[in-house]
Amino acid sequence: MKPLRILVIDDENVICDACELVLSEKGHTVISMNDGKAGLDAIREGAYDILLLDMKLPDIDGMDILKVVREEKPELCTIVMTGYSSIQNAVDAMRKGADNYLGKPFTEDELLQAIEDSYGDR
Amino acid sequence: MITDSAKFENYFKTFRDIIHSMQGDLSLQEVLDKVVRKATEALNAKGALLRILDRETDLFEVGAAYGLGERYLSKGPVTTEKILNETFELHKVQIITDIWNAPRVEYPQQTWGEGIRMMLDVPLAIQQKVIGMIRIYLSEQRAFSEDELDFIVTVTEQCACIIERVRLMENQREHFTHLAAHMEKLSSLGRMAAGIAHEINNPLGGILLFSSNMSKKVPAGGPLEKGLKIIIRETQRCKTIIQGLLEFSRDEKPQKIFVDINDVIKTALGVVANEFYLRHVVVETELAQNMEKTFLDKNQIEQVFINLLLNGLHAVEDHGQVTVRSALESQQNKITVEIADNGCGISAENLKKIFEPFYTTRSSGTGLGLSVSYGIIENHEGNIQVFSELGKGTRFTIEFPILTENPNGREGA
Repeated sequence: MKPLRILVIDDENVICDACELVLSEKGHTVISMNDGKAGLDAIREGAYDILLLDMKLPDIDGMDILKVVREEKPELCTIVMTGYSSIQNAVDAMRKGADNYLGKPFTEDELLQAIEDSYGDR
Repeated sequence: MITDSAKFENYFKTFRDIIHSMQGDLSLQEVLDKVVRKATEALNAKGALLRILDRETDLFEVGAAYGLGERYLSKGPVTTEKILNETFELHKVQIITDIWNAPRVEYPQQTWGEGIRMMLDVPLAIQQKVIGMIRIYLSEQRAFSEDELDFIVTVTEQCACIIERVRLMENQREHFTHLAAHMEKLSSLGRMAAGIAHEINNPLGGILLFSSNMSKKVPAGGPLEKGLKIIIRETQRCKTIIQGLLEFSRDEKPQKIFVDINDVIKTALGVVANEFYLRHVVVETELAQNMEKTFLDKNQIEQVFINLLLNGLHAVEDHGQVTVRSALESQQNKITVEIADNGCGISAENLKKIFEPFYTTRSSGTGLGLSVSYGIIENHEGNIQVFSELGKGTRFTIEFPILTENPNGREGA
């Protein structure tokens, strides 16, 4: 897979760090943001191939960020992550326009597979 | 023959007042207080004492008193076995005139001191069942005609009916308050569980990503790889437990479809068949031939049956037996399903706790199966009950209303 530019928005540093480690080892470039506002700025200003978006952020609801992404950056491939891992969450996120879904906690292989599945055919 | 019409008019008035107290929103205690006061007034007596038979202890407990001194009350009426031991004539007034020698008077000295010279014991009875008695105290002896006594008995029996009704209503109210409190407890625990689950999933996310990443960097087959694999496996186990918690707290609305409950039972039995086979536990099924279809959430109810079947399996030793019965009670418009085992049983003390979340006696259990089941049955307007005896077994009975129309409308059908 070609090197991608990946933006991670999660208020949990441990998730950001882990994603950075796993993805940079695969040759991708990873930028992390810890809250919704900084995340939105990064989405608007930068050029990313993939967005890994946590649904529960301290300032802005992940669903609202997803809405902005679909309006302003419809090309940005978005994978949502949430601790409320239920089918209902996944269905809601996909309806709102997410490309894929990861229920926390997930393994390295699951993360890579999710990126492969949602970005691979672009 | 009625000789004194004024007296009987007075009785009627008393009777009417007591009936009225039933229509108002009086508590049981208020009704009892009214009965003793009215009885005293109607008979122009010194006072009256009403005792209610406690069915558990088989003793007459004082329910209300009127017109009696504190000192007498603290001594006189407390012990009551003697009255109970005597053969009690159900529909007859017992007249006590000899205060000093009557076996029914336990404290003659105090009674005499209180200024009591005559007593009437009137049973509070409904048909053949005694629910209590009223003792009326008079300061002087006087004659009572048969008609008058009959009338007193009749009025008292009506009082008994009223008391019983108010008592039933209070019991019901108490029962519902208890249920409401129970549901409140479950739902607040559910909310808490959801919060905890989310908080824990984040650190678990870190553990799982780092450990799965590292496990590929260490030499294959070495001790480091082994340790990391264990970390990965155990983290995923935590994930499963938390998913159970979230399922419990989700409180999903049932998606009801028109199904034969026997089919749901058969599917559930299919899911657990292997586990039963491995433990040599036999499942006996007695499914109603004439079962009617009803609207219910197939997946949720299947989950309940699986939970109960696995509980049954865990309760019995190898070679035990689990029985599943279904029945149609068309007169009551309901379906019942019974899942019983001949296993170890549950003590009365634990039985109270089994529907509470996180309550479990199994080391590997999450304690959520039965509380999830309870919530599901509640959402189906059903009823789940448990009967158990230590060493003999446990029986769960579930009742569903028969619905011929989908209460959710077309959604989910």
